[in-house]
Amino acid sequence: MTEAAYQWNFQVIWEYRDVFLRAMGVTLSLAGLTIILGALAGLALSLLRMSSHRVVRWPVITWVELLRAVPPLVLVVWIYYCLPILTGLTIPAFQTAVLALALYSSAFFSEIFRAGLQSIDRGLVEAASSVGMSQAQAFRRVVLPLALQRMLPPLVSQCVLVVKNTALAGYIAVADILYQGQQISMQTFRPLEVLTTVALTFLALIIPLTMAANVIEGHFRRKYYR
Amino acid sequence: MNSPLLSIRDLHKSFGHIEVLKGINIDIHKSQVFGFIGASGSGKSTLLRCINMLEVPQVGSIRLAGELVGFRDTPRGRKPLPARDLSRQRRRMAMVFQHFNLWPHRTALENVIEGPVVVQGMDRDQAREMGTTLLRKVGLEGRVHAYPSRLSGGQQQRVAIARALALQPEIILFDEPTSALDPELVGEVLKVIRDLAQEGMTMIIVTHEMGFAHEVCDQIVFLADGKVEDLGPPAHIFGEQAAPRTREFTRRYMERHQIEMGRPE
Repeated sequence: MTEAAYQWNFQVIWEYRDVFLRAMGVTLSLAGLTIILGALAGLALSLLRMSSHRVVRWPVITWVELLRAVPPLVLVVWIYYCLPILTGLTIPAFQTAVLALALYSSAFFSEIFRAGLQSIDRGLVEAASSVGMSQAQAFRRVVLPLALQRMLPPLVSQCVLVVKNTALAGYIAVADILYQGQQISMQTFRPLEVLTTVALTFLALIIPLTMAANVIEGHFRRKYYR
Repeated sequence: MNSPLLSIRDLHKSFGHIEVLKGINIDIHKSQVFGFIGASGSGKSTLLRCINMLEVPQVGSIRLAGELVGFRDTPRGRKPLPARDLSRQRRRMAMVFQHFNLWPHRTALENVIEGPVVVQGMDRDQAREMGTTLLRKVGLEGRVHAYPSRLSGGQQQRVAIARALALQPEIILFDEPTSALDPELVGEVLKVIRDLAQEGMTMIIVTHEMGFAHEVCDQIVFLADGKVEDLGPPAHIFGEQAAPRTREFTRRYMERHQIEMGRPE
């Protein structure tokens, strides 16, 4: 005897559409804030790390290596539970998640920026100096645009990772899409439909991101490198 | 003779413990074409790069029309020049690099006008007109809007020369302009340099092209171990009166060249 095939019923998703939409908003703002803050911090870290002063460079290297070595969930949980005990500073769950994920991703962003900036041929900067450009002009008009083109693929992968890592925020009860999905599936006993929807939501967020990146990358390649 | 356009005095440059230039003295007058020759490691490229401060010399001085390059003398000693003044001096001594160093995200024309527009604030339309004229002058009127990756090495180097000319420099510094080129592309670049010499442009050319140096240069500097071993017109450098090391160097070059030319096709 075979068991009866599972009866899918996506009605439950429609019933909880408001909750899903709100959770999606939470996930998107988590990801957006994390990417902005993480990338800015990463840029700052990468510039400090390329400093000619060892006193500046070494603390930054240590800090980046520490951040990279800690699992992001541990970082989220530690900032949520341990930081208040140590400092008396209580941070709400959402802000904690943004802080932890931004710190974590800043280490990776900084390595992407450093690799990208350092990959630009020194001769191109010398050419800029030779026509009289200042260091700032050479950075803005030569180094940065070329480095950004080269950094685009790793930057997009890092953004994809940030979007995925937002799912960790549910661990400290931030009402993101996974957290809400689990709540709904417990209430409705429909985990297959609900969690499949959660997974599809992530696909819907991430696939357009990578597709757009591929289009932009192809555009640059065709334009400048035949 | 009137005062020199470029005057190099007792120039020393070290990288760490290695002294690359050991007291160089050279005077270059307006409309002269100087060739710097010598074995690799003799310091000829470093000397060229010191002239427009891509490398900063430790001792000695370079003067452009009497003006100290890269530094200013103050009551408390010699201080590096402020960035703005250095930029102004560099524009008077345009540089053409061995590997062209064109900006890959700019078209040929944009490479040429970038300096005048961004640094000197030249009007964009006026700059385009000037850039187009210069590209025509180097024989690239058809490739104005091409990106560097679509140009041959010889074409890229000619764009680089147009970029140098766009600064309206008093002197152009060439750092082995044909060393990175396929042999069949060398001629088109040398022709442009030859034309500039005929127009009276002051130039310094670091080169391994002895035949070209012989033909175009007014004076040739032979550098060895960071010193000026020999200096004189081509007839002297390539003649019997040259210093022993110079003769050794040019003789070995000629031998190698003849062997290559004598090789069966």
